[in-house]
Amino acid sequence: MDTVNTLIVGFISIVLINNLVFTKFLGICPYLGVSGRIDMAFGMGMAVTFVVTLSGTLTWLIDNLILMPLNLEVTRYVCFILVIAGAVQLVEMYVRKFFPSLYESFGIFLPLITTNCAILGLCLFINLWGIDSLLEAVVLSFGAGIGFTMAICIMAGIRENLNLADVPECLKGAPITLITAGLLALAFMGFAGMIR
Amino acid sequence: MILADIYQLWNSAWPAGLTMLGLGSGFAVVLLIASEKLKVKVDPKVEEIHKALPNLDCGACGFAGCGQYAKAVLAKPGELLGKCAPGGPQTSNKIANILNLQISESGPIKRPIVHCRAHTTDKTFYAKYQGIQTCLAANALANVQACNFGCLGFGDCVRACKFDALHIVEGLAVIDYEKCTGCGACSKACPRNLIEMIPFSQENMMIVACKSREAGKVTKTMCKVGCIGCSICAKQSDIFSVDDNLARVDYEKYQPTEQTRHTDGGQAETAMNKCPTGVIIYVGKGRTGSQGVRKDKG
Repeated sequence: MDTVNTLIVGFISIVLINNLVFTKFLGICPYLGVSGRIDMAFGMGMAVTFVVTLSGTLTWLIDNLILMPLNLEVTRYVCFILVIAGAVQLVEMYVRKFFPSLYESFGIFLPLITTNCAILGLCLFINLWGIDSLLEAVVLSFGAGIGFTMAICIMAGIRENLNLADVPECLKGAPITLITAGLLALAFMGFAGMIR
Repeated sequence: MILADIYQLWNSAWPAGLTMLGLGSGFAVVLLIASEKLKVKVDPKVEEIHKALPNLDCGACGFAGCGQYAKAVLAKPGELLGKCAPGGPQTSNKIANILNLQISESGPIKRPIVHCRAHTTDKTFYAKYQGIQTCLAANALANVQACNFGCLGFGDCVRACKFDALHIVEGLAVIDYEKCTGCGACSKACPRNLIEMIPFSQENMMIVACKSREAGKVTKTMCKVGCIGCSICAKQSDIFSVDDNLARVDYEKYQPTEQTRHTDGGQAETAMNKCPTGVIIYVGKGRTGSQGVRKDKG
């Protein structure tokens, strides 16, 4: 029961309270780049969720089974990037084979998940927070992906409506998008302090 | 002393190197297996056709981008060859070469024309429009601009154009034929269907720059340069016909001749000069769209 409790709290925490996009400002590039349309945003969120779950789990295993026993923590960054790049390649091949239309609509953004800092950030955070069970690491990684999907979908929804709004000339384009992102992050500050 | 340092460095470095090597080769093997298992066969001809296309992704062919068109044209070359408007006959020939096909002679290139020549000063307005600044929205609101057929001038067509070939000049869409590729995006964007794609058999084409089907009297009160349906042009030349108070050009009969640059021995030219509102004008390269040749009647 205790484990289940920890997992649920951890999941809610990473989705709402410690959301990587809103509180850590990680993964801003795809968050602003692919949030023009809500269907694209959802697809991107799903791809990121898959990659982050896979790489979060793998990096926890590599960290705990190989790097820590060998005292090679310094090579963490390089190893993690290796894992993420590999996972993205795998996803790309898979999507190309089984979802060709999705593959075409993603275009360049699919390989760019490699450099999504939310993913590397989460892999490093898992270590930083001292997560010592594999199950917890898996749940946290999955939660991070879900949190990212939620953030990018909310943003896409707002931006779709923003297209119809009468935005002042000087704020059109990037400025109003950044302001929106800031206000959204501010709204999510309301969750801070609910857990831990 | 130095030797000991190097020795120590080596001692701490080799396990790291070995681990990285192990991890790297491990992932390499996984990806290698995956790439074999998940291989997608792509016809080399698709790549070749894609290279021959202009890569503008304008959508004139009816597909989302050049990539999709390349695939589709390979599957159905009979129907789809020659649909690439920006590439023109050159691109079609290249694709035909790749596919080992002979291309039949295609008709003249198509270019858009704007069926309106009224600038802001020529139009009559009943109210000031302050809503969303698009033609689509303004068109939904009746009677802001007196003429229900004319250009609204909010530039939906300008936003649709990928080639910077359309501009709003004093409340009227004006086409820059030097930059136009004939993709037809503007024609689809106009909520009033003012922009028509016509075959440009000559450099400069004669058009009726109005679409108003109101009676001549009504048109006159709403617009200084509208077609009043007086039929003078139709009496002069048979390329013109008047229907619903609006003159039209029959482009089937509009044929270029060697001697006269103009059609049917200058009769059309006469009709143009006799038009009381000057709504028949030349458009094309070198002429700045609908405000091109303007005959000021005394």
